[in-house]
Amino acid sequence: MTPPARLNASASSPCRLRTRFVLRFLKTLVKIKRSTPPPPSPSLSLTSSPEKIGRHSQRIKLAAYSSMARAVGQRRAWSRALMLKLKLSDKRKNRYRWLAARKMKQQKTLRRGCGRILATKRNRSEKGSPSRSCSGVDELRRLVPGGEAMDLGVLLEETAHFVRCLETQVRVMSIIADCFP
Amino acid sequence: MSSRRSRSRQSGSSRITEDQIADLVSKLQQLIPEIRNRRSDKQVSASKVLQETCNYIRSLHREVDDLSQRLSELLASSDTDSDQAAIIRSLLM
Repeated sequence: MTPPARLNASASSPCRLRTRFVLRFLKTLVKIKRSTPPPPSPSLSLTSSPEKIGRHSQRIKLAAYSSMARAVGQRRAWSRALMLKLKLSDKRKNRYRWLAARKMKQQKTLRRGCGRILATKRNRSEKGSPSRSCSGVDELRRLVPGGEAMDLGVLLEETAHFVRCLETQVRVMSIIADCFP
Repeated sequence: MSSRRSRSRQSGSSRITEDQIADLVSKLQQLIPEIRNRRSDKQVSASKVLQETCNYIRSLHREVDDLSQRLSELLASSDTDSDQAAIIRSLLM
């Protein structure tokens, strides 16, 4: 098995991307860990409340997505859209609103998408083109950050890159989780 | 490929040819493990590829949720900094 590329070597972009993501994510993890005060006695550490764990898992999840978006940088439309979304939600100093806003946006695009599906169903019955499923495309637009504003071709390219980055994110997070004893 | 792209740019509209879309869909097809592992010779329809892509993205989101839950539990329980050094070493070298 070939060893992974080192930081200084002129590595191919997937390895560099992974390294950038790993560095940012670990820095944020350390910050999150340092922000939690250590339990006063070892016996109390077991009763770390589920709400606290839930809050931390939200922070870690946001840290993962924001580290990945920042590691990709301005090169991709989805990372730009995601960074803007996170920055806006951070400015309001309420991180949970990001999830609520996403839900609201999903409902809005669902309503918009229904109208689009009704219109295109009419067209589809006239044209009879089975290759393009408009409801599938609308759903993809909802899943990929910034997908609503993209053309179909751009959306497909961004989806491919987004899927690769998500896979990297999952792989790195599972390696980190396995490293803990 | 580049000539096809310059042709569509010269037309000025955002219309993309069916070939380009089919090309992109097949590229996406290679990324989705469900479709890649099936190894069927017949062509997978574009709507199926899109559906599988949506399912795959949702499953990846779920995995990220589970992993971040797991990581937060582990962070809460561990107290030494030497773990972090070991993690960094194993990931980067």
